[in-house]
Amino acid sequence: MAILEVSGLRKQYPAFLLEDVSFTLERGRIMGLIGRNGAGKTTTLKSIFNLVHPDAGEIRIFDLPMPAEEREIKQRIGYAGGAVDYYKRKKLRDIVAVTRTFYENWDDAAYRKYADTFSLDEEKTPMQLSEGMRVKFSLTLAMSHRAELLILDEPTSGLDPVSRAELLDAFLFLKEQGVSILFSTHITTDLEKCADDITYLARGKQIASQPLDAFLSAHGGQSLEDIMVQYEKESLHEKLAE
Amino acid sequence: MKNLLSKEFRLAASPLAYWFLLAALMTLLPGYPILMSAFFICFGVFHSFQNAREANDILYSVLLPLQKRDIVRAKFRFTCLIQMIGFLLCAILTAVRMTALSGAVPYTGNALMNANPVYLAFVLLIFTSFNVLFVGGFFKTGYKIGIPFLLYSIVAALLVTVAEVLPHLPKLTFLHDPAGARLGLQFGILLAAMLIYAVVTLLACRKAEQRFEKIDL
Repeated sequence: MAILEVSGLRKQYPAFLLEDVSFTLERGRIMGLIGRNGAGKTTTLKSIFNLVHPDAGEIRIFDLPMPAEEREIKQRIGYAGGAVDYYKRKKLRDIVAVTRTFYENWDDAAYRKYADTFSLDEEKTPMQLSEGMRVKFSLTLAMSHRAELLILDEPTSGLDPVSRAELLDAFLFLKEQGVSILFSTHITTDLEKCADDITYLARGKQIASQPLDAFLSAHGGQSLEDIMVQYEKESLHEKLAE
Repeated sequence: MKNLLSKEFRLAASPLAYWFLLAALMTLLPGYPILMSAFFICFGVFHSFQNAREANDILYSVLLPLQKRDIVRAKFRFTCLIQMIGFLLCAILTAVRMTALSGAVPYTGNALMNANPVYLAFVLLIFTSFNVLFVGGFFKTGYKIGIPFLLYSIVAALLVTVAEVLPHLPKLTFLHDPAGARLGLQFGILLAAMLIYAVVTLLACRKAEQRFEKIDL
């Protein structure tokens, strides 16, 4: 069953054009949105979450149109732009106390479980947490309202290798619970560890959207990093030749 | 909306928004442009917006299961709530000046604006200008507060000046009267200001909702 369907997404900025982005994410699968910096990953994710207004295209989440059913959809999804970057001087306890009032499905037991698993100290402020702990707090908030879909923008950037591995393990655990995850990254090894599908963007255009295995096979079994480097090199050569 | 308003007070508001409510005490100052009380009450709210901006409050809010217009409405309601508390304090102190302290020496020879219903009307007009120019202006971008506050400050200064000058014009001296003279007309002016505050603030909120909806965050 499709949890997220994006078709014909287009967004024009003065110096950047994102166009023809279309992909589908099924329930209980992890999709990596991959591309180098400035490829359009964040614009795509923000468009899905109605943080930016696409010029064209259709977005359906849980078979509901976004943004028409924004409130209903947001009850069931979690978005984290990497580490928590708000109310840095407020205690986690206070942020949680306010956040929980907005979600019909807030689950205190789930919150307690994730907070304990990630060793979050509620008396601390986001400012006192490391980058990795702030990402974990962000995930904890998303999971405590039983989000069925997580949309994460560069969640592993800035994390040390151990924290990255822990986070990817958490993704796999959530996948087993039936949660779908769409996360952007330019760290290809993260995808190889946990992604089922990938959508690859380069310079605002979609190069591919398919199961990871199929994508790798279609490129002669090269690693994701090699494939990415090859694409980007080709585009650089094309530019220089113009 | 109740939980969003609660979020405003618990996470976004600056303590200065409450401390600056004490500016209502300026109502009691003789020989002072007491309308500055309204300016400073709004200055406290400005600090809350600044505090919220630095805490990425707008980003947090748009991720919640809400529509963007709810966020605008909550900010307006927070602002109006602070202003209403400030207004109530000013009104109580005005009543004290007009009754128990009406014969007090420092007030009998007061050359500047006296505390009366006209003063309260101007307090509301200053609040209205804040809601239109600052709060409404903020939602053009969702983060810029400098220019909107500058515009508000200019208009508030003009309103204070007008309020201080008008009673010195012939036939308008009743505006300055501390108690008794043409009280009915003074209350009529206050009623008109209340109506202006309510209608214009509502329109400013609607306009801000439309502006904020169009912003890419």
